[in-house]
Amino acid sequence: MKLVKAMLFAALVAVSSMASAKTIEMDVNGLVCAFCAQGIEKTLKGFPETAGVFVSLEHRIVAVQLKDGVDINDAALTKAITDAGYKLVAIRRTDETLDAIRSRVSQQKAIPAVDPSKHKHTMGDMGGHD
Amino acid sequence: MRIAHRWAAACLLGMLPVAAGAKPIAFARGTTVMAEYGAGTMNELQLYYAPRYWYSVGGGLLELKSEDGSKRRDVAYLRGNLLAKRWNLPNAQANVFAWGGLGTARGNDFDGTVLDRNVGFQGDFETRRVYASLQSDLHESSRYSHRIDTAQLGWAPYAHDYDSLATWIVLQGRHYTGGLFEGTETALLVRFFKGGTWVEFGATTDGKLQAMAMFNF
Repeated sequence: MKLVKAMLFAALVAVSSMASAKTIEMDVNGLVCAFCAQGIEKTLKGFPETAGVFVSLEHRIVAVQLKDGVDINDAALTKAITDAGYKLVAIRRTDETLDAIRSRVSQQKAIPAVDPSKHKHTMGDMGGHD
Repeated sequence: MRIAHRWAAACLLGMLPVAAGAKPIAFARGTTVMAEYGAGTMNELQLYYAPRYWYSVGGGLLELKSEDGSKRRDVAYLRGNLLAKRWNLPNAQANVFAWGGLGTARGNDFDGTVLDRNVGFQGDFETRRVYASLQSDLHESSRYSHRIDTAQLGWAPYAHDYDSLATWIVLQGRHYTGGLFEGTETALLVRFFKGGTWVEFGATTDGKLQAMAMFNF
């Protein structure tokens, strides 16, 4: 019984965490030019859950600000990035706004090619056209 | 046909101060318009739509003129472009494109219209500071065979981001077959792009204008 309660509690915490996430931040490989960013931005803005999109070529990140109380699942994000022709490396959900992320990355130097500590979870070989 | 090409050439010239081209597929559900003025030897206008990121369909108008003015080709064609392979690396991207198409062509050294067959490929590699590409484009008919091989090496003085202007210095070498141009036509170009607009212009070692523009939307 205790185990069931603990699992229920963990599930509630997880769901609550997802529902309260304001922004999805993704690490994407292959982002080297404005046309790359343009295609990804166009694709992600097509989601009804999307309130805004920010792309940083320097940090290789794509951030999607969500509308209140909604989320986009990882499978849909993976498909969107892969169908745009790029490789999704990692997904993080944060409470930061796009402006906060924009401000944060503008103060950071470009991330190194491999930075596992930055990733909440990696997508491994989940796709991309390479 | 010639009127259409003159009209296209006039459009190209009008775009030169702000315009210039690159990949035949920009992004999924995207339209690409490319225009190139190639030092008087080659003028081309292309329009493509990409339903998916790995292929696009469209067509173009190509005008080829030999250096001595003795040969001229006016080609109108339909073409399919395929992204055969892409490598998405952490700080770089490499692509191999291939294409093929059919069209009609007229020339000043033969009568009537002939069927033009077009095949080509492009390989490119780019980071935010370095760009290299190799392209070969063959137009062939019962009356001619012209292959245009183009190599480009680019260097960016600074790494751009999505919201800033990208600036590139590009060295281009181009070789024509079929009696259009003897030797290799070399040009030094400056390239700018921001958002969906790309403009490239410069001069060949003979002092002729070389320019290209591309718009993605």
